[in-house]
Amino acid sequence: MTEIWMWLTDLGNSKILALLIFFPLFVGMLLYVYTGKQRSERLESYKNIPLDDEPNDIAQKGGK
Amino acid sequence: MAHSSAGSVEQYNYDIVKKFAIASLIWGIAGMFTGVWLASELAWPFLNFDIAQITFGRLRPVHTSGVIFGFGGNALFATSFYVVQRTCQARLAGSRNAHYFMFYGWNGALIIAGIGYMMGITQAREYAEPEWYVDIMITLVWLVYFWVFVTTITRRNQPHIYVANWFYMAFILATAILHIFNNLAVPVSFTGAKSYSLFAGAQDAMTQWWYGHNAVGFFLTAAFLGMMYYFVPKQAGRPVYSYRLSIVHFWALGFMYMWVGTHHLHWTAIPDWTSSLAAVFSILLLMPSWGGMINGIMTLSGAWDKLRTDPIMMFMITALSFYGMSTFEGPMMALKEVNALSHYTDWTVGHVHSGALGWVALITIGSFYHMIPKLWNTELYSMRLVKLHFFVATLGIILYITAMWSSGIGQGMMLREFDEYGNLANTFISTVTFMHAPLVARAIGGMFFVSGMLLMAFNIYMTIRNAKREPAVGSVAQTVNA
Amino acid sequence: MKLKHEIFETNIGLLIIFTMIAISIGGLVEITPLFYINDTVEDVRRADGTQAVRPYTPLEQRGRDIYTREGCYNCHSQMIRPFRDEALRYGHYSLAAESQYDHPFQWGSKRTGPDLARVGGKYSDTWHVKHLVRPKSVVPESIMPNYPWLLENDLDYSDIQARMEALKKVGVPYSLTQEEYDSNVKQFGKAVADKLDITRADENLVSEAQDNNRDGIPSRITEMDALVAYLQMLGTLIDFKAHDEHEFIKAR
Repeated sequence: MTEIWMWLTDLGNSKILALLIFFPLFVGMLLYVYTGKQRSERLESYKNIPLDDEPNDIAQKGGK
Repeated sequence: MAHSSAGSVEQYNYDIVKKFAIASLIWGIAGMFTGVWLASELAWPFLNFDIAQITFGRLRPVHTSGVIFGFGGNALFATSFYVVQRTCQARLAGSRNAHYFMFYGWNGALIIAGIGYMMGITQAREYAEPEWYVDIMITLVWLVYFWVFVTTITRRNQPHIYVANWFYMAFILATAILHIFNNLAVPVSFTGAKSYSLFAGAQDAMTQWWYGHNAVGFFLTAAFLGMMYYFVPKQAGRPVYSYRLSIVHFWALGFMYMWVGTHHLHWTAIPDWTSSLAAVFSILLLMPSWGGMINGIMTLSGAWDKLRTDPIMMFMITALSFYGMSTFEGPMMALKEVNALSHYTDWTVGHVHSGALGWVALITIGSFYHMIPKLWNTELYSMRLVKLHFFVATLGIILYITAMWSSGIGQGMMLREFDEYGNLANTFISTVTFMHAPLVARAIGGMFFVSGMLLMAFNIYMTIRNAKREPAVGSVAQTVNA
Repeated sequence: MKLKHEIFETNIGLLIIFTMIAISIGGLVEITPLFYINDTVEDVRRADGTQAVRPYTPLEQRGRDIYTREGCYNCHSQMIRPFRDEALRYGHYSLAAESQYDHPFQWGSKRTGPDLARVGGKYSDTWHVKHLVRPKSVVPESIMPNYPWLLENDLDYSDIQARMEALKKVGVPYSLTQEEYDSNVKQFGKAVADKLDITRADENLVSEAQDNNRDGIPSRITEMDALVAYLQMLGTLIDFKAHDEHEFIKAR
C-alpha cells in the first residue's frame, strides 16, 4: 500500500496518473454522447437553440 | 422588471454590445495599422525615425495587445453578451454601471498599457507586457465579466445551456487563471510602474509559455469557437452539423490545450520530458481542432450554394478553413525536428498570422457583418463592399503567410548550412539581407488586410447612419415586438 | 448512482467546476514538477567551490532593465540550442542555471537579430557603443533601429536599492543583513558578495561604471554604461573549458 502511495505522490509520475484518470473519463464521455437513441435525439435537439432566438419568436411564446 | 410585459423594455440589452463592437473595430484598425507600420520598419528600417517611442521593440507590444486584447477582446465581450442573451433568451445581467465599468475599464486599461509600452513601461513578457497596475485593472474587469456572464446564464429561459456559452465560459475561466498566475510580480514601489516577475529563468519561461500558448488556446481559439458555434448556424439558417460532436469537441479541446505550451520551448534549457509531452499532445490536439472545423463547415451541407452567394458565409467558411490549416501547421511545427528549423524564424510569425488573420479576424468580421445590422435593426449598407472586403482580406493573408514561409524556412535553412570544410556557410547578417524581399511582401500583405478593415469601417458606418436616419424600420419592429 | 451529462448541461456551477478541472490538469502536470525537481537548474561551481552563476551587479541589473524597457527580446533571443550550427555561431548551449536570476526570463521567441546569450566579450565596448547608437555604422546591412538616446540619457539609479529589494523578495540573494552577506561570501566568494550588498548598491554602481567607462564618456554615467555592462557579462559566468562536455546533459 505504501508503495502505491509513494508512486502516486511522486511528481515524476503525474503524467501517467493523469492519463490513467482522464483517458477512461474521455472514453466514458464518448460512449455517453454517442450511445442511446433517445439521448442522441435529445442532445441533437439542442442545436436548434440559436435558431429560436428572434425577439419575435419569443414574444409569440407569450407567457414565458 | 415591471416593464417587461409592456414591451417598452427591449428583450435584449444591445447597448453594451454595440459599444464593444464599435470599440473592437477601432482597435482592429489601430492595431493592424501598427502591425503594418512594424512590418514596414523591418523592411525599411529608416521608419524607426530614431524616435524611442516608435522603435520596433517598444511598438510591437502595442500591435500585439491592440489586436489580441483590443480587437479580439472587445469582439469577444460584444459577441459573448449578444450570444448569451439570445441563446438563454434572457436579458443581460448587471446594472448599466457594471456594463460601463467593463467597457471603460477594459479599454482604459489597454490605452494605459499601450502608452506605457511606448514609454518603455513593460514586464517584457510576450503578450503579458502590461505592468502590475494594469494587470490589477484587468483582473477587476474580468471578475465583473465572469459575474455578468454567469448570472445571465442562471437567468435563462431555456433549460439547456447552448454549447457556444460553454466555450465562452471556458475562455473566461482559463483567461482568469492564466492572467493571474502569469502576472505574479513584486512591484519596486507602489508609486512606480516597475515590477519584477515572481518566477525566474526556466520556471518563468514555463509559466510564460503556459500563458502564451493558452492565451492562443482559450482567448483566440475557444472563445472564437463559441462565436463560430452561434454565428455560423445563424448565418447559414440551419443548425450546427452535430451537437454531439460539439460536446466532444469542447471537452477534448479544453483538456488538451493546456498541455502543449511547452512546444514553444523545444530544445531550450528545460527538462526534455516536458517538451516531448507537449509535442505528443500537440499532435493529439489536431483531432479536436479538426473535429470543430468539420462541425462548422458541415453545417453548410445541403446549402453549399451559399458559399457562392453569401459573402458573409464566405468569411466564415474561409475562417474555418484557415483554422483547419493552422491547426495542422501548428502540430507539425511542434515536432521537435521541424521546430529546430522553424523556431526563432518568421515561419512562426506566419503561422500565428494564418491563425490570427485567417481564423480570428475572418470569423469576427463575418460575425460582425451578421450581428451589427441586427443590433441596429437594419440591413447592411452594401453587400458588394463585403464581397470586396473578403477578396482583399484573403489576398492579404495569402500574401502574408507565403512571404513568411519563404522568409522563415529560407532563413532556417541558411543558418544551418555548412560549407565543404564544415564551417558555417552563411553569416547571420546575410540571412537578414535575404529576408528583405519577403519582408516587403509581408508588409504589402498587411496593407491589403488593413484596407479591407477600412472598407468594413466605412460599410458599418454607413449602415449605422442609415439605421439612425430610417427610424421606420426600427418602429415597425418595435410594433411587432410590442 | 448514474452520473448524467445532463447535469453539466443544465447546471452552470458544475459546468464551471469541471471545466476548471479539465483546463488545470495540463498546466499542473507540466509546470509544477519544475519547481520541485532539483535538477531542473544545474548546480555549476568553479574550481574553488563557489557558485559560477551569480546575480547581476547593480549596474548590470540597471542595464538589464534598459534591455527589457527597449523590448530587445522582441528581436533577440538569449537561449542557445544544442545544435552544431548554433554552437559554431553562438557558443555552448545555454544552461537553465545561467538564467536562474533572470526576473523575467529573456529567452525570446524570435531571432530577427542574432542570439545574445553569449554576446559578452565577443565585441569591444567601443563596438557596442557605436553599434547601439547606429548599427549600420558597424554592420551596414543591419535593420536594427538606432538607439542614440542611450548615450544622451544619464542613468537614473536613484531607486537602485528599492529595485534590489524587490528582486530580493522574488528570490535573488542580494544581502541586507550581515548574515545574508556572510552566506553570500560562502556561496559566491567575497568579491561577488560585496557587489550583492544592497546597502552599498549606489557606490558599487558608480564605481563599476566609472572604472570601466564603457560609454567612453568619463564624466557621466549614461544608460549606455549600464546596457553595455549587461551585454558584456552575458554568458560569461561559466567557463565551459573547465567542465566535461557531457556534464550538463543529464539536466535535460
